Amino acid sequence: MVVIAESAVRLGWISSFFLAAPTRAVIVLWEQIVGGSALWLTGITLFEIAVSLFISTVVGVFAGFLLWRYKLIGNSYEMFLAALFSSPVILAYPIFLVTFGRTSAAVIALSSIFGLIPIIINTKGAFQNVNPILLQVGASMNVTRKQMFRYILVPAVAPTIFSGFRLALTYILKSVLGLEYVAQVGGVGMWLSDAAFKFEVEEVYAGLLGTIMLSIGFLYLIDRSEVLFRK
Amino acid sequence: MSNPRQNLALLPAQFQTPFGVQALTLFFVIAVWELIGRTGILFAGLFPPILEILQSLWTYIATPIMLPHLKASLYEVGGAIALAALSGIPLGILWGSRSSWLEIVEPLILYAAVVPKIVIFPVFILFLGIDVHSKLAVGAIAAFFPISLLTIAGMREVKKVYVDVARTAGASAYQIATHVYLPAIAGQVFTGIRIGMGAAVTGALLAETKIAKAGLGFMIVEYYGQFRIADMYALLLFIFILAALANWAMKALFARLSPSARASQDAGMYF
Repeated sequence: MVVIAESAVRLGWISSFFLAAPTRAVIVLWEQIVGGSALWLTGITLFEIAVSLFISTVVGVFAGFLLWRYKLIGNSYEMFLAALFSSPVILAYPIFLVTFGRTSAAVIALSSIFGLIPIIINTKGAFQNVNPILLQVGASMNVTRKQMFRYILVPAVAPTIFSGFRLALTYILKSVLGLEYVAQVGGVGMWLSDAAFKFEVEEVYAGLLGTIMLSIGFLYLIDRSEVLFRK
Repeated sequence: MSNPRQNLALLPAQFQTPFGVQALTLFFVIAVWELIGRTGILFAGLFPPILEILQSLWTYIATPIMLPHLKASLYEVGGAIALAALSGIPLGILWGSRSSWLEIVEPLILYAAVVPKIVIFPVFILFLGIDVHSKLAVGAIAAFFPISLLTIAGMREVKKVYVDVARTAGASAYQIATHVYLPAIAGQVFTGIRIGMGAAVTGALLAETKIAKAGLGFMIVEYYGQFRIADMYALLLFIFILAALANWAMKALFARLSPSARASQDAGMYF
C-alpha cells in the first residue's frame, strides 16, 4: 500500500493536494522531531495521559473497593456505571471546555472519566471474585485484618485490577489524542488539527503517522508490561 | 475488611434497596445542581435550572427544529454501520477461516483498533469534503473494528467438525460461508453490529463537532459557541437517550434472533 501510494503521488495519478507521498510524510515527521516541536508536543500528550491515568487509578481503585465493600451501593450504582460506559460521553467535551477553558486540564478531566469506569468495574469484580477459600485459610491462621488485606486480598485482586488498568490506559490514550484533535488543545492531536486547518497536506499525514506510531508504541509497551507483570 | 457489608447503617430501612439508593442519588444530584446553579457559587452559567433543560428537550421532541440535523446524523450513522457491516463481516469470515491469515491480520487489526479514528478525519475531509460523507467515513472506520474483530472471534469458536462435514457433503466455499459459518457466528456478529453502532455514533458525531454543515454534533458546538448551555445539555441528553434506545432496541432484536448475542461489551473502546 505504501508503494502504491508513493507511486500514485509521484506519477501524478493522485494530486498531492489530497495525498502526500509516504516518504515526504516520514521526512516531515523526522524534521518535526529533530528541529520542530514534535517532541515537545509528544511530551504534553504523555503528560496528559500520565495525569489522567493517575487520577483514574487512585479514584477508580478506591471507588471500586467501596462499591464492593458496601454491596447495596455497588448494586445500586452498577446500572449508572453501565449506562455511562455505553454512552457517547466524549460528546460532552464542550462542557469541560467551558469549565476548564481550552487547556490541558479539560482534556485530563474528561479522559480521567474514561479511564475511571473500567478501573472501577474491574476493581469491584476483582474483590467480588476472590476465592473464599483463601479468606478462610487466612482466618484459620488468625491473621489480622491488615495482614488479610496486605497478604491475601491485594495479591488476589492485582491481576484483574491490572487488566482494568490496561483497558483504562487504552481508553485514556484514545480520549486524549481525540480530544486534542477535536478541541485543538494540548499536544500531538493539536498539531494534526493545526496542520489540517492550514491545509498543509504533508504535515497532516506526518501528524497522522506520528499519532498512529504513538498509539501503537503505547499499546506495545502496555502488552510488554503486562507480560512482565504476570511473570 | 475481608467481607462486604450488605446494608448502609446511615440509610432508613425503606431506602435499603438498589432502587432506593438510585432515587436518593438522583435527588441529591439534582439538589446540588440547583443549589450551585441558583447561587452561582461555582462555574457561573454552567448549571442552568433543570426545568430549563427539560423545556429545551421538549422543544426538540415536539417541534421539527432538530429534524434536518437528526436526518444528517442518522444518514451518517446508518451509512457507516451499513458500510462497516458489508466490509467487516465478509473480511472477518475470510480472515477467521484460516489460522495462517489470522496470525498475520489479527495483530494488525488489534493495533489499528487502538488508534483514535477521529484523527483520520482530516484525510477524509481532503478526499470527501466537509459534507456528510466525511463523517460517514469516520463512523464506518470506527464501526469496522468491533464488527470485524467480533466476527473473527465468532469464527474462532466454530467447531472444525461442522466445516469438515459440509466439505465432505460437497459444499462450495460460498455455501460453507452462508450455511455453516454465518449461522454459527450470528451471535457474535450481532454483538459486533450493536457495539459498532455505538462506535459509529461517537465517531460521526464527534467529527460533526469539528467541521460540519449539519448534524447533532454540529448543533452541540453551535450552542457551545453561543453559550446556550441549557440547550447544549438538552441536546446531549437527547443524544444519550436516542443512543440508549437504539442500543436497547438492537439488544432486544438480536436477543430474539440469536440468544447467544453477548450483552456485556461496550463501544467506548472503538471511537
